[in-house]
Amino acid sequence: MKKTKDTLDLSFERKIAAPQQEVFDAWLNPLVPGTPWSESKKLILDPKVDGLFYWVHESGCPHFGRFTKVQSPALIEHTWMSPNTLGVESKVSVRFRKKGKHTLMTLRHSGIPNTKKGRGHEWGWNYFLDAFYGAAGKVSIK
Amino acid sequence: MDSLSDLLTAVSHPTRRAIIGRLSRGPARFLDIAEPFDLALNAVTKHLKLLDRAGLIRRKRKGREVMISLHAKPLKEVAVWVHEYERFWNERLDSFEQHFREKKQQP
Repeated sequence: MKKTKDTLDLSFERKIAAPQQEVFDAWLNPLVPGTPWSESKKLILDPKVDGLFYWVHESGCPHFGRFTKVQSPALIEHTWMSPNTLGVESKVSVRFRKKGKHTLMTLRHSGIPNTKKGRGHEWGWNYFLDAFYGAAGKVSIK
Repeated sequence: MDSLSDLLTAVSHPTRRAIIGRLSRGPARFLDIAEPFDLALNAVTKHLKLLDRAGLIRRKRKGREVMISLHAKPLKEVAVWVHEYERFWNERLDSFEQHFREKKQQP
């Protein structure tokens, strides 16, 4: 995580067991689990430069943005706004690189307001505990 | 890298999180840790090295065997920095990766 005074940048990397084009296409398919547009109760998705998306999570949290780069099969960039960005346009960039028979996927979410609301410490910590142990609290951290 | 970066790297991979989950149940030998994973032993060694670098595991010789145990205290540092979007994207990407893994396993 890169942190400046006012904003945060997050970076993630995954090696996906499929060819670059297939992974790129899947990322824009709301029916594929794990894409930003999945698990939505309302979705408008127009993945082309200057196309817009509007996505309401099952929990009711709305997200919207504008595609700024759609370069098949290598790059997708769009803006990202939600209650957690406090109305500020953050930027999401997803690169797909061929790695043998697999695809190296790098997702960067930059320009996120560095606020208490955005950080969500407690929730994040619970997530990690859940992910690590299946249920929180099996390890005592003092 | 600083210690926080080492920690975030260590917990960013599902295999390493699974190893932490295994060690949270108690110390284990290397081969016991490697057993549930469909990975070369070399790859498991690399995962353990990253956990080691982040200070999340300890090794203790017990006779001829080396027991590996979880040292969870550094995770507290992650707790302070974890961002809601960190959780969101990790969850999403894990699920996306898993989708392709399952697809590959289908006949």
